[in-house]
Amino acid sequence: MDNVIFIISTILTVGGALCVLLTKNIMHACVYLLTCLLGVAGLYVTLGADFVAATQLAVYVGGVVILMVFAVMLTGGPNSQSSNKFGIVKIPMMGNAKTYIIGIISAVIFGLMAYKVLSRVITSIQAGEAPVFTETVEKIGFMLVTDHVLAFEISSVLLLGALVGAAIIARPKRGV
Amino acid sequence: MNNTIVSYLSQFESYKGLLESFSSLFGEAGPGLLTFLVFLIGCILVVTVMATIGGLGTYAERKISADMQARMGPNRVGPYGLLQFLADGVKMFLKEDITPNTADKFIFGLAPLLALVGVFGTLAVLPFSSGFTLSNLNVGVFYLIGIGSLVGVAIFLGGYASNSKWSMLGGMRGASQIISYEIPVVLSLMAIVLMSGSLNFGGLVGAQGGLPQEWFIFHNPFTFIGFFVFFIGALAETNRAPFDLPEAESELVSGYHTEYSGMRFAFFALAEYIEVFVVCGVGAAAFLGGYKVPFNLGGEGIIGQVLQVLVFFGKTLALYYLVIMIRWTYPRLRVDQLMTLCWKYLTPMAIFNLIGCALWIYLLDSKSMWDMLAAFVGSMGTGGGH
Repeated sequence: MDNVIFIISTILTVGGALCVLLTKNIMHACVYLLTCLLGVAGLYVTLGADFVAATQLAVYVGGVVILMVFAVMLTGGPNSQSSNKFGIVKIPMMGNAKTYIIGIISAVIFGLMAYKVLSRVITSIQAGEAPVFTETVEKIGFMLVTDHVLAFEISSVLLLGALVGAAIIARPKRGV
Repeated sequence: MNNTIVSYLSQFESYKGLLESFSSLFGEAGPGLLTFLVFLIGCILVVTVMATIGGLGTYAERKISADMQARMGPNRVGPYGLLQFLADGVKMFLKEDITPNTADKFIFGLAPLLALVGVFGTLAVLPFSSGFTLSNLNVGVFYLIGIGSLVGVAIFLGGYASNSKWSMLGGMRGASQIISYEIPVVLSLMAIVLMSGSLNFGGLVGAQGGLPQEWFIFHNPFTFIGFFVFFIGALAETNRAPFDLPEAESELVSGYHTEYSGMRFAFFALAEYIEVFVVCGVGAAAFLGGYKVPFNLGGEGIIGQVLQVLVFFGKTLALYYLVIMIRWTYPRLRVDQLMTLCWKYLTPMAIFNLIGCALWIYLLDSKSMWDMLAAFVGSMGTGGGH
């Protein structure tokens, strides 16, 4: 009963991610990605990270997905042919021996890596205690302007650079 | 944890009695079930009231526009035509639900729902009164901005999925407009967040008082400008005139919902009208004192709560009236004028306001103009004696 939010979020996350992989329409993939990101926000909520969850909503749902949809639409959309303009086949045929071997090797390597990472979780799987809910906003704000002020300033300079760059690119050429 | 409607109700004896009876009936799951039920009833209540307000919004829009143009407006269905929106709803239900042949059917069906989900999601943190707020999240402002941006996604996807050039243009305009105008809106809200030192709506409203000179709009010159920046930006974010370019009838047929008919169109229309109510509510909460009743009439009990709800709705609906009046007063902007207004005027003003508010807090100890004026007048009075 306590895990309802967790279960819903997990279904959204995993289901959304699977649908992103399985759909062939890239526009639909963007929409499925939206549900996946919403699910991740829900997971943050169950862990008591309210600020991160709200950031997830504001940044990914509001910004990144719209940007992705824009980019997909401006670069041709889902209804273009099965090969893109560089002639690369988007949906490959049944591969040859080389692709199969590479595929098997990379699957084994990734499987081992995933097992290495997850082994402790898998062997000792227990329901952990959810952390006690505390307000994180003030702590995050305090940390940002004390301990991590350098990273904060550097990222703001980076964003300013991106803004100025975008303005210069978008500016109409004078005297041409 | 957060203040919610449950934590407000749990201070009453009858709720505790209910809790005990639930615990004895369902054992361990009792309190959780009761909390769920309270939230369910609260959500149903809020959504129903809001849907009615959205419907009445269409009626108000037609009636006020008729008034401004010396017409009668709807006057056949019910007293003063009040039931016109129900008749419209029935008409929408019975209309044929058309999906264009070449449309992207999945996204076409999803977009109106997404718009409604985004708007109804924002209702969770709207502060109706100090007790009756569904959830007073401590990142409420941030959450509202995040979940509200789903509407932008929905408008764009709706325009895209229709596979019609009018819809496409409308959707693109809508998305770019919503993304652009989010910046001045959020920055002017941030100024208020600075002044109150809180990201939740309870804190925002709690830092203000019931009388106009205690509201944030009259707190200092920067917040006064900030309110207008917020209001203009909010008009643009909800695609209201003079910023209704996404559905510009004279050029784009009907914009992003050109191809929608029946209930799906009604969803878009309903989402728009409820979103207008929500942004007006946010404006009222952040700048106009929210649910604060003058002189704290009614106290903290049930009567006080009812008065608070009435005050909140009164302020919000006054802003709503203003929004409708603006729509029928001003001509529509061009796309380039829209972007110029946002990036060259509103955004610098919002940043100026933010810095101004920060300086006001730092240098003047965040005293309001009226406090300083009162202190000044007081010192004049005592100083003039000799």
